[in-house]
Amino acid sequence: MTEPSYQQPAYQPPAGTGPSGPRASFGRRLVAAIIDGILLGVVGGIFYAISRPLGYAVQLLITIAYLTYLEGSPSGQTVGKKAMGIRVIDFRTGGSIGYGRAFVRWIGRYVSAIPCLLGYLWMLWDKEKQTWHDKFANDVVVPESAYPVESWPG
Amino acid sequence: MLLDPGELRLAGGAMLAAGLTLPALPGHPSFHCPLRALTGLPCPLCGLSTSVEETVHFHLGDALAANPLGVLLVLVAVALLVLRPARLALPRAVVPTVLAASWLFELHRFSFL
Repeated sequence: MTEPSYQQPAYQPPAGTGPSGPRASFGRRLVAAIIDGILLGVVGGIFYAISRPLGYAVQLLITIAYLTYLEGSPSGQTVGKKAMGIRVIDFRTGGSIGYGRAFVRWIGRYVSAIPCLLGYLWMLWDKEKQTWHDKFANDVVVPESAYPVESWPG
Repeated sequence: MLLDPGELRLAGGAMLAAGLTLPALPGHPSFHCPLRALTGLPCPLCGLSTSVEETVHFHLGDALAANPLGVLLVLVAVALLVLRPARLALPRAVVPTVLAASWLFELHRFSFL
């Protein structure tokens, strides 16, 4: 006859639960995007006032440079994300996504926006709270409180 | 699948607020579908700004004509704000099914089906 076992079974996270770690909320990400949009819009607007084509060109270039540099830096924070205390990290390693993937993330924003922003709203029901551009760059957006930043921009 | 009720309550609240205020703003700001602008094809979320705005102003006929999903989203948003559930779980198939149904409706509305 075997002894009954009173040992606790190893902890198994139940299937269909939330994300694998703390994630930045929809509200914080939205406000961060609005802050960045205003910043980039003001700079672009100044050039737009001088000349339309110049405005478009400058707006595009500063947006690429701004997002690629800041989201690819070790902090993973644009000005808006810094203000909201959130950052972009590599989903697998938790480190920086680097400039290459930050550029992919910028291109991915267009894909996310094309079907009426469906790719942005995706985070509302995604398990890891990822937008489509997060998935393309294999990143997650997380609260700084759980993943501290060493220096900004890095 | 497990959903975050706090996130959805915020998003739903923002949607209701936008539906109530946007039509009253000068020029009636709206979001034009980039997919439709680029290809002529509507996307699964097309017609939703109109539908949500008409629903919150009790123009149910116009809302249903634009996209019935908008009426459902308003009802869900109000339910989330009133009932404030602590936990929210849905079968996995719900989101893809709703998006597919909405897309079929829009494709039919723009005479692609």
